[in-house]
Amino acid sequence: MTTSRATAQLPQRNTMRLRGKITTAALLLTMVIVAVVMLYPFWYIVDNAFRGQGQYDRQSGHSLGGWRQLFANLPVGGQLLNSTVVCVAAIAIILIVSTTAGFAFAKLRYRGSGLVFLLVVSALMVPLQSILFPEFVNLSNVHLTSSYAGAVLVYAALGTPFATFLMATYYRGISDELIEAAVIDGLGYERTFLQIAIPLSLPAIATVTVLQFIQIWDDLLVGLFFLPTNQRTITAGLATLSTGRTTSVPSLMAGSLISAIPAIIVYLIFQRHLVKGLTLGMGK
Amino acid sequence: MSLTEAEAPAVARSASRRRGRNSSPARSRLARRRRRAGIVLSLPAVALVIALLGLPVGQAVYYSMTQWNGLTATWIGPSTYTALVKDPIFWRVVQNNALLLLAVPVAIGIPLVIAALLNEHVRGWRFFRSVYFLPTAISWVVIGMFALRFFSATGVLNGLLAHLGFGASATDMLAGEHSALAALAITFIWSMVGTNTIIFLTGMATLDPTLVEAARVDGLSRIGIFFRVTLPLLTRFIQFSFVITVISAFSALFSLIFVMTSGGPGFGTTTLEFFIYQAGFQQVQLGTAALYGVVLFVIMAIAGLIQLRLIKPDDGEGW
Repeated sequence: MTTSRATAQLPQRNTMRLRGKITTAALLLTMVIVAVVMLYPFWYIVDNAFRGQGQYDRQSGHSLGGWRQLFANLPVGGQLLNSTVVCVAAIAIILIVSTTAGFAFAKLRYRGSGLVFLLVVSALMVPLQSILFPEFVNLSNVHLTSSYAGAVLVYAALGTPFATFLMATYYRGISDELIEAAVIDGLGYERTFLQIAIPLSLPAIATVTVLQFIQIWDDLLVGLFFLPTNQRTITAGLATLSTGRTTSVPSLMAGSLISAIPAIIVYLIFQRHLVKGLTLGMGK
Repeated sequence: MSLTEAEAPAVARSASRRRGRNSSPARSRLARRRRRAGIVLSLPAVALVIALLGLPVGQAVYYSMTQWNGLTATWIGPSTYTALVKDPIFWRVVQNNALLLLAVPVAIGIPLVIAALLNEHVRGWRFFRSVYFLPTAISWVVIGMFALRFFSATGVLNGLLAHLGFGASATDMLAGEHSALAALAITFIWSMVGTNTIIFLTGMATLDPTLVEAARVDGLSRIGIFFRVTLPLLTRFIQFSFVITVISAFSALFSLIFVMTSGGPGFGTTTLEFFIYQAGFQQVQLGTAALYGVVLFVIMAIAGLIQLRLIKPDDGEGW
């Protein structure tokens, strides 16, 4: 037994190297197959966005027919603008309330602040669907559903719990001494927050911004319910267009493409921040 | 100036007493200002969350016990809940949610395997990671837009099956109640791959490589290491992604259903969240919508409480 192992050692090392190569090749092949499954829908959308309905039915030939129909049926430019306005306004509110509250919960603790923090964070588990109609009636009673305001507020409220959690977690990582020193140096708590804490927390602010941008840009429910028809976001506009049975498939694919591009660009640039936000609190 | 060991503590004590006496009012003034600043700075977030999330939850609970059309509400009382339990439509809808939960283990298992593959760090793995994560950036509306064409009678799936010689079995998956739900579940699983893969990959990066090395020296195969070493150490991450996936299954499928099936055929793909929309928007029974909303909220609250236990708020590391 021992002698045979000794003599077999050299060929065994060769077979192991071969097996290593085969394993690597099998791994790569599997990863390529998974990549095809994940990317195929994107290819399908791009491919069929540049067809007319007839070309789509035959699955051959390309043209701008779909795009022409899309622009005829959907105010694409206006809706992209609506999406942008709503995103920017809601993210601005989220950043203001979550940085201030996160800083307060982390560094300016008062009696009961732990409980208040828990209250804010636990609002995370309220699905909008659960409160859809009370929310809608409330906001239309104060005349906020005839403009961007209602949707912006709803998005801001939905984004605040997690953003506050994220900011508080980040500010806890900043040393108390630094904050104390700044306050004793005469900055006061408000200016310490603005001049010390905010610049230090830019990575967390970036994470909140990217996460919220993708969430709000991609959302349908709020855009569908809380915005007047002429101020719909591109995602809501596209979804309602698709329920019209006469709409051609290529024009829907063109709409899908144009609505997805801003989110994809943001994803490609800020992927790292998105990953960070998604897995925060899970370190170790 | 040198002190003996016996003297040193006494000196230090008196010094600290002196300092304490001198700065005590200043310090407490500072503490008071800090508390006030804390309250002021946390107020906007608290107000926003209470006004737009907390208050409507209370209203939903109230309206769930009324007949409500948006203008006038007639009080009925808690009997709406007993009526709900006897309503076959409610159970039909809950059944759809329960069946969708069957997709959760798959939506976790596949990403686990993918993360394990990526974690082998074959050349180019970072590129593949970006590719797998890409759908996370895409709206469910766009995903549904594609899935609708993928599963339809003349769609990609049937084209593929015909190509492989199964032409005779060509069916419109979205036309049957059960197959439509299955199509929805498959789309859901595909959409969750990116998120869950990233969670597991993050988890695997935290594992101690010497443990894996030790297992390899002990003669465990790759698969053995995956099941006996990696998986047990990932428990917390698996729980985390389980909760996220369950929450998504209950509350993130609205857009997908809206685009793909509108809840049909029949009640085939009507989930709790979609029935809320139908009851309120199409039938103008806002009381019923609120009732279903409360049920959904209770389920989400249970999932959320588990989630709060899994994420550790005081752990500011990892940035």
